[in-house]
Amino acid sequence: MRFTRRFLLRGGSAVVALPFLDCFLDSKGRALAATGQAIPTRFGTFFWGCGLTKTLYLPKATGPNYDDTPQLASLKPYKNKLNLLSGFRAYVDDKPNIQHWTGNAAITTGIAPANDTQFDARTIDQTIAETIGHGARFRSIEVSCSGNKRESYSSLGGSNINPPETSPLSLYSKLFGAGFQDPSKGDWKPDPDVVLQKSVLSVVADDRKLLEMGVGAADRARLDQYFTSVRELEQTLDAELRRPQIAAHVAIPDAPDEMAMNKSVPNLRKVTPVLAKLLAIGLATDQTRVFNMAFSEPASTIYVPGDSRPFHQSTHEEPVDEAVGYQPITSKFSTYSMEGFAALLAALDGIPEGDGTLLDHSLVFAYTDTSNAKLHAVDGIPMLLAGSASGRMKTGIHYAGAGTTVARVGLTVQQALGLPVDRWGAESNLTNKPISEILA
Amino acid sequence: MRRGLRTLILLSGLCVAATQALAAEPYLAGLRRLTESQYRNSIADIFGPGIAVQGKFEPDRRIGGLLASSGTTLSITPAGMEAYAKMADGIARQVVDEKNRSRLISCTPKSATAADRGCAAQVLERYGLLLFRRPLTQGELKARLDAADSATKLSNNFYTGLRYSLTTLLSAPDFLFRVEMAASQGKAYSLDGYSRAARLSYLLWDSTPDQALLEAAKSGGLENEAGVTREAARLMASPRLETGMRAFFSDFLQLDTLGAITKDPTIYPKYSDEIAASAREETLRTAIAMTLKTDGDFREMFTTRRSVINRPLAWVYDVPYNLNGEWMDYEFPAQSGRSGIVTQAAMLSMFSHPGRSSPTKRGVALMDIFLCEPTPAPPANVDFSIVNDTNNPNLRTVRERLMAHATTPSCASCHTHSDPIGLSLEEFDSIGERRLMEGGRKVDASATIGGKQFSGGAGLGQYLHDNPRVPACFARKLYAYGVGANSEELEKGTVQPLVDGFGAQGYRVQPLLRAIVASPQFFAARPPAPLKTAMNPRG
Repeated sequence: MRFTRRFLLRGGSAVVALPFLDCFLDSKGRALAATGQAIPTRFGTFFWGCGLTKTLYLPKATGPNYDDTPQLASLKPYKNKLNLLSGFRAYVDDKPNIQHWTGNAAITTGIAPANDTQFDARTIDQTIAETIGHGARFRSIEVSCSGNKRESYSSLGGSNINPPETSPLSLYSKLFGAGFQDPSKGDWKPDPDVVLQKSVLSVVADDRKLLEMGVGAADRARLDQYFTSVRELEQTLDAELRRPQIAAHVAIPDAPDEMAMNKSVPNLRKVTPVLAKLLAIGLATDQTRVFNMAFSEPASTIYVPGDSRPFHQSTHEEPVDEAVGYQPITSKFSTYSMEGFAALLAALDGIPEGDGTLLDHSLVFAYTDTSNAKLHAVDGIPMLLAGSASGRMKTGIHYAGAGTTVARVGLTVQQALGLPVDRWGAESNLTNKPISEILA
Repeated sequence: MRRGLRTLILLSGLCVAATQALAAEPYLAGLRRLTESQYRNSIADIFGPGIAVQGKFEPDRRIGGLLASSGTTLSITPAGMEAYAKMADGIARQVVDEKNRSRLISCTPKSATAADRGCAAQVLERYGLLLFRRPLTQGELKARLDAADSATKLSNNFYTGLRYSLTTLLSAPDFLFRVEMAASQGKAYSLDGYSRAARLSYLLWDSTPDQALLEAAKSGGLENEAGVTREAARLMASPRLETGMRAFFSDFLQLDTLGAITKDPTIYPKYSDEIAASAREETLRTAIAMTLKTDGDFREMFTTRRSVINRPLAWVYDVPYNLNGEWMDYEFPAQSGRSGIVTQAAMLSMFSHPGRSSPTKRGVALMDIFLCEPTPAPPANVDFSIVNDTNNPNLRTVRERLMAHATTPSCASCHTHSDPIGLSLEEFDSIGERRLMEGGRKVDASATIGGKQFSGGAGLGQYLHDNPRVPACFARKLYAYGVGANSEELEKGTVQPLVDGFGAQGYRVQPLLRAIVASPQFFAARPPAPLKTAMNPRG
């Protein structure tokens, strides 16, 4: 708690406008005067496991001004800055419905996965990073709210995952530790050490030719991934050799202390806002433009101390209360998960940037693995899109997908972020129909 | 040089040679990403244990029951590369540090502020050999010397130049992956000497080959059975065999799971990170004692009441701790219900929920680990609510509720398969404490598998001890661990002779290790990919 208080003190003041940054803003208050560089648009995902409770989250009305529902109560402050998407379906065709995996992977790749814990293509955040991430220091940043090093659903394909930061301190060190270039530093100059680090990578990149001989296709793909990673690191170092330019009004807080990391709901409530705030400052200072936050794993095992049933067990074991038509205890875990999402949005919306907030210059895609977790159903998976992607997305709308493919959401997201794609997905999830109702 | 020459031919587009021509030449037959412990052990062996390795490793993934097998399928992500580069820099900094120089840098430069190619070459050649587990090619060495020169010029410091060129070795794919090179030997394809050396040392020591093993590889001494047997015997006589086998047992018994579980402190206040670490250590010490210290029948791991415990574990087991030291040999009394590693805190707590035991989780895990029988996922559309209606006055215990669900026809086939093993452990709670009552009723720990009836931890231990599939599964996984294969995809012809030999040698692990490294398939390689796919148009 010592840390939380201190962090709030520092972090709270961090949102206060710093006068010396104003000189970077041009008269329109949208772009940086020094370079005329526009405020970048960011993309992020928020994943939570085991879905929502239909009777508690699904509004009766669609379109704008839809009715409020209890499970989304924590998101009410951002209702006009987000879209609720219901009724989309992950088509599995003749593949199995891999429990707690098919929905997750189909949403982020547009392809129903053939194998558990494997992606049949790179995930959407990585595709997007290639277009919008250039120039930022890191291609993407992954975060696990429970501190689980396997809890990341961002991948370049196959069974490799982009490993997550597993505590506020590890996230802080990544963003603001060695290599961070402070934009407010008056006498900024490139670090000669970084020049040397870059030279190391060019030597390593040349090792490639010795490994080409007789190599099989699978190993070739792995080598390609290795050398792609080397190139990514070169770009990170390139970014560290440029004077950073930012438009947001933020200051960098002191390093947080280590915090306990686990899956208990009270702890998640403590840690998630801290991670979200660090992530937001990282975005605002252009350390990355793409992030992935996992609130839990797909078959979510978040738990409330004293109750021996974690979320996932609860979905299967708690009887439906016939009087109300849902599982009372299980549904609370869904509500807690939405509170985690609200904490993320609060952090993004709390940073003024240009003529709006960081959230306005972002698009955050919240999704889950199932609709009704008790049945592992992948039709009607709830999803949310928050932020207006610098004005390219309309907000405040509830859109019902009426059984169309989840890949429409991924296609819409890519188009909103300016990717030149007109179709996305595979087999029955292949679609050329974005949700035009929410594209501005 | 050989490889460099072939590269030249390929790069100049002279793709006349077909598979046959390539076969006589070495080719890349496999890539195995170093595990965290392999990386740490290698650095400690090459530069000394005083060199700190600080950083975050990419997670592994269990394939066919083994993390080691995922090394052959995983690569390195951008975040992983960043972490590896930082670790490399941290290690190289320490190696050239003033206090380590005299020990680790074998020559003194003519001037500390200018390049000295001769001295740099001496250092880089030595560490290149150790880190890449083979000599550097001329091209690789030259690139490193050039890097050292230019870094020295920029910094006016010989050691800074050396540091950056060492970093290029530590960040290279040839260090981060075990690059397995092979060539044809008659009609078959098999690994070259250096790749053989690495396979031997990472299996037996969980670390990089030492100078003697690299010498043997260089002189062709690992290309015949007698030479392999001789080197394997030398490696097995070393105390480092224990490091190697601890790594194997940790993987085989899935002890890494202890790092990923949490227990609800309101229900299990005793549980802590210290208990988890102690439980892991207890199980590893037991496994090592049974297999290396006594070279006994490995199946006694399931029946022994002997263990090695520390003070925190004595608290969980509720037994007296009479020693001032850290660890104490302890023999559980017969009425304790304890029987070998399956009744130790590690196995019991890993496969439980945060707030209660789970016969299904325990059953599924132990079937997978010890019998090589993974349980299929349950059908998607299942109503489990009966399992946890704790208000039902007729279903008071975990067993009663599970049975009510598991007798549903669509659920029965799998639960009959996996539950009995777990039910026999119901006398132990989610962290491994003994409990004879649950919900006011006496716990029923009886089980029936394939007509065999048994009860409790001792019954389960005896069942596993007597089950011939247990040693067969063990031999299969140890072999898969050594070659980096998926244990479920090994051919019976490869495994069966090892299983037979294991039994004939009284189920002792050391003869099994000797048989594995002497097995004709142990160094076998896949054939080279046809030249067409070997040519990368993107170069």
